[in-house]
Amino acid sequence: MWRDASLYSRGFFVGRKFTRAGRQLFCVIYFLACYGAVQAAAAVPRQTPGFKRAMKVVTDETGRRVAIPFSVQRIVTLAPDLTETVYALGLEGKLAADTTFCDTPAAAKLKPHIGSPQTPSLEAIVAMHPDLVLATTSINRPETVDALLRLGISVYTSDPHTVRGMLDSIARMADLMGANEQGVGLVAQLQARLDAVHSRIAELPLVHVLFVVWEDPLITIGQNTFIADALRWAGAESVIVADQNYPQVSMEEIVRLQPEYILFTGNHAESNDDHELSRLRTRPAWKALKAIQMGHIVQVDDEITKPSPGLVGAIEQIARELHPGVFSSDGRGESIELQGGVTAEIFANMLWERERDFCAL
Amino acid sequence: MSAGGGAVALPQTARPGGNANLRLKVEQASYAYAATDRSAPKFTLGPASFEAQQRELLAILGPNASGKSTMLKLLAGLLKPLSGRIEVDGTEVSELDLKVRAQKIALVAQESELLFPLRVWEYVLQGRYPYGKRLRFESDEDCLLAGNALAQVGADALRDRWMDQLSGGEKQRVILARALAQQPSLLLLDEPTQHLDIGGKVELLRRLRRLADENRYTVIVVTHELNLAAEFSDRIVLLHKGKCPRIGTPAEVYERELLEEVFEAPLEVESGYSGRPRVILRATR
Amino acid sequence: MRPLTPQRILGICALLCGVLFAVCVVSLRMGAYPISVRDILSTLFNAAAGRREEIPVEFWQVVFGLRLPRIALGILVGASLSTAGAGFQALLRNPLADPYVLGVSSGAALGAIVSLIVAPHTVGAIQIAAFVGAASTIAAVYFLGRRGGQLDSPTLLLAGIVAASFLSAIIMFLLTMVTGSELRSIAFWLMGDLTAPPPTTNVLGWLGFLFFVFIVAAGAMYTTSSDLNLILTGEQEAKHLGVNVNRVKFVVYIAASVLTGLAVSVSGAIGYVGLLVPHVMRMLFGTDYRMLIPTAAIGGAIAIVLADTLARTVVAPTELPVGAMTALAGAPVFIYLMRRRMR
Repeated sequence: MWRDASLYSRGFFVGRKFTRAGRQLFCVIYFLACYGAVQAAAAVPRQTPGFKRAMKVVTDETGRRVAIPFSVQRIVTLAPDLTETVYALGLEGKLAADTTFCDTPAAAKLKPHIGSPQTPSLEAIVAMHPDLVLATTSINRPETVDALLRLGISVYTSDPHTVRGMLDSIARMADLMGANEQGVGLVAQLQARLDAVHSRIAELPLVHVLFVVWEDPLITIGQNTFIADALRWAGAESVIVADQNYPQVSMEEIVRLQPEYILFTGNHAESNDDHELSRLRTRPAWKALKAIQMGHIVQVDDEITKPSPGLVGAIEQIARELHPGVFSSDGRGESIELQGGVTAEIFANMLWERERDFCAL
Repeated sequence: MSAGGGAVALPQTARPGGNANLRLKVEQASYAYAATDRSAPKFTLGPASFEAQQRELLAILGPNASGKSTMLKLLAGLLKPLSGRIEVDGTEVSELDLKVRAQKIALVAQESELLFPLRVWEYVLQGRYPYGKRLRFESDEDCLLAGNALAQVGADALRDRWMDQLSGGEKQRVILARALAQQPSLLLLDEPTQHLDIGGKVELLRRLRRLADENRYTVIVVTHELNLAAEFSDRIVLLHKGKCPRIGTPAEVYERELLEEVFEAPLEVESGYSGRPRVILRATR
Repeated sequence: MRPLTPQRILGICALLCGVLFAVCVVSLRMGAYPISVRDILSTLFNAAAGRREEIPVEFWQVVFGLRLPRIALGILVGASLSTAGAGFQALLRNPLADPYVLGVSSGAALGAIVSLIVAPHTVGAIQIAAFVGAASTIAAVYFLGRRGGQLDSPTLLLAGIVAASFLSAIIMFLLTMVTGSELRSIAFWLMGDLTAPPPTTNVLGWLGFLFFVFIVAAGAMYTTSSDLNLILTGEQEAKHLGVNVNRVKFVVYIAASVLTGLAVSVSGAIGYVGLLVPHVMRMLFGTDYRMLIPTAAIGGAIAIVLADTLARTVVAPTELPVGAMTALAGAPVFIYLMRRRMR
């Protein structure tokens, strides 16, 4: 097959002679270098060097026992929701770096970046000299956390599955970062808002909804995600019950189940409800859904996808849309002020697209 | 031999002292192909007995499916005979170690399918493989012998050419050179004239003849070319459906009725220019 | 007529090792963390002299915790894949063969995915499971690829393709069954990742073990290199010249498969290296396998270390997976080779 003789056996280096002296000199240099490298490698320690500061040992939410310094001055976050939490606690002064996807609040975009949540640059993290790195199981890889721990860097990983769990997480992280008071205050405020919503809709039956993560193929959420829990707080329930976090379902099943409302995340921020509705009414299987026919679609704030303080705002939004009679009409259009002046806005969420990409594998 | 009874003439095949010139000895060798171990054999070869000397060109002649290739495989040691013995230089062939066998017997391929390009001298040098350790680097002696092999086939000028740039005839010479580099006692060729035109056929057989005469190889050629076999070989082994009806010089073997029966064609045998028999097709219309 | 000599081979290998050394030094220098060559050298010398306290903690973390292990692993994986590729190209008599064509990587991937699902946080589980998967595939394809009791190249190729397809189908099925976070780990593992943590804290011992396995397997293949040269001119002809073709095929099959399994278990499936490096080395140094096996090994190491260095610096601070880099660089090289052949 490879019969082009000039391509091969002539060989660029065939026939060139290496002088004996040149070869010997080369060998000498080479062996010296090897010897040095072997000596250096042989000195690699079995354990990573310890820090000289006072540390406390804490068990994080994945069960890892991590040593965290008592005084945390420099923080690196590995996920957008964690960045949001840090800002909500008023600790942005201590935030040394975040990821390239951290865009809520807008000031977070100006911080130094250490890469994406999935593939951060470990060296960049080291270069930030962090006292504490925050990670979350909802987007970061365990390998990243393990690698950082092996280097001797303190990493606290949160593992939110429910809304209440998220609040506990915020409180714990606030405590670790030395902002106990702010943490308690923030959690109390968020809990109060949740209770306010809950008190109004507790007696009402749960509205059956379809939460659309991705349209084509149709992907929705499983019952173990915090999105499902958030929906329950908003008085809604997903029609699909599945163990997987992001199950792919067939349209036929949805047509059979006929959810009352269809929820989309704010990816289509440019288009308003009417535009979306007219688009969906032209699609073959979607036309058959009563929710589409009656115009019962909701464009949910992006914050629903992140276990961060802004989630509560998204819950309030959903509750208002799904139970219009219960909430007063002046509730619409209010912007929700969170601690520290964070305003919930609708952004295009690259993070969410990443999740979709991997789910679509 | 004394007069009177009691004197027994020694049979032709028993030579107590052994003949230093005897390269190949086939004694009552037979082989059979069967579909499975227990069914009846579909094809049986032999038993056959013949010999070949140094400097001899022996032709194994016969129509298709007469067992010629099987015979060649037996001679090369690729098959073990079911009965009898095949000896080269006094040792049983199928029991030889692979490398030792390659030192004694060279089976010349018809073509060579190279995957990556190779130079002629590299190719011929590969013929020295049987003479080294497992991971071997060729010595000066190997290079000398390979050069000799190329000279013996008259392909010295091709030494630095690329294998896939050779013509058909040149390639065959180089393949032959590689076989010669093995320094074998026995040179086996299976239908070497198949893809050659008449000029090529003659040239090849002349070269084989010269190799046998001048360089003392024993050459065994399997063929179905009647006239070439008659012209160039010293002795002929005629095969027919696995049996060996005649072994002898061309003049002895080429008898009209015998050839007509074996080859199933109307033939006429006459005497050619050099005194050797020549076969022509009788008019059939 | 200038036959190959051991001196020539050693000379070329020393030259290539020099290039590898230079590439490693460059790779040590590059990265998101700012550290100068002087600092790197002082860290190395202090470590060699045992003066650990004088090295800043972060220098230590970066040089010995991050960059050196990656480079060492890259050398190992690159050498293994290229050697295996050269072996498979001879065994299957096909210049387009790469180490994954016989399904070994799919078997290893399946093992890794099963371990991620079943035992996600067990240290070392992923490597062991991947190697078990690879070994099982090797055995299965071997038994499928025989004809008349001996390894037959076309049958082996078919058996390998069937195995790879079947295993990929199972992998796809499993991927739809996993819940969520494992999916991300699997996706990264499949793309090839040199930052995977070793199963023990004794990094040097782990690397030493891997290199030992590499030397044994590559060495076994090297002993058959003269035989391979002959087999490449034709199996029957090689047999007539005294080569024990069946034994050679078996040894090459096992050695090349072990090398592939080793590389894939440790770092996922990095593509193109096993296919292209042998061809490039053939273009430079000839097709004799006694020269090709060592040069392909070193060439593969150079290629992977280069690719990894690029992968972590090109789009800083994000890190690309190594497999993406080799594909990006490998595809144009492959096209170039194809076009040269057509001319």
